[in-house]
Amino acid sequence: MECNGCEFHPELFYDDEFQVWLRREDDDTLTVGMTDLAQTIAGKIIHVRVRRPGTRRPPGKPVATIESGKWAGPVPNFIDCTIVEANSQVLENPVLLNSDPYNAWIARVEAVEGADAALRAFLTGDEAEDGYCHRVRDEDIHCQRSTR
Amino acid sequence: MLMTAEHYLDNEGQKVVIIMTSGPSEPARCATPFYLGSVLAAMDNEVRIFFTMEGVRLMQTGVAEGMAAMEGGKPIIDFIRDAKRAGVALHVCHPALPGYKIEPSTDLIPEVDEVNRASELADLLLQSDKTLTF
Repeated sequence: MECNGCEFHPELFYDDEFQVWLRREDDDTLTVGMTDLAQTIAGKIIHVRVRRPGTRRPPGKPVATIESGKWAGPVPNFIDCTIVEANSQVLENPVLLNSDPYNAWIARVEAVEGADAALRAFLTGDEAEDGYCHRVRDEDIHCQRSTR
Repeated sequence: MLMTAEHYLDNEGQKVVIIMTSGPSEPARCATPFYLGSVLAAMDNEVRIFFTMEGVRLMQTGVAEGMAAMEGGKPIIDFIRDAKRAGVALHVCHPALPGYKIEPSTDLIPEVDEVNRASELADLLLQSDKTLTF
């Protein structure tokens, strides 16, 4: 599913600005990644650093930092969570976030209040699709998943 | 796969003050402070950029929109907005404004957090863990 060439997965969960996606895993952890929209805005990503596993991150405290040639900033975090694991492939080869944003996850986290409670704050399904497509069209974003 | 320490963040947050004196006459110096400030803020540090001397002109309405650090590069206003989104606070030096005919109540971009006296900058410096100057 795409809008303006920006890939979208309705089964995932998204923040209201569609910067990050979350996926619930069988063990109740949450996998966090960047959306196609976000990686396009960032440009070619050259460095990623994740908070050390075991670190608790309250809402507003980033899970990771990202640097591209033209942008630097946080991978935002909206939930009270503990870092479980970082994706070593992405840490070693950050451009995977550009070329395959929905498979190149950044971190797995454990929500302090459980996955169900955490995900209530996120958008999914048709509601998320409407918001995602509205943003890419409103801001005239055309996604590219090349390694540029 | 062996992960090096640099891949993981475990720093304690510090207070960082960036003094920005460069302005439109030196555009090549006007993106890095915001980029570095964004990285520092994303790493849980409390980051404040204090604009003084010609640096105040970057906070003047319409100036940063028309500037880039390199030809054809990203506009400085976008670097400023990235820094704000990362949590960087922007302070403007009140005593520097008259020299550039900038009226603080009408001529500054909305991204500015505070207009401060020199004594308030002095307080920020004395309370900071790290100070950088551009």
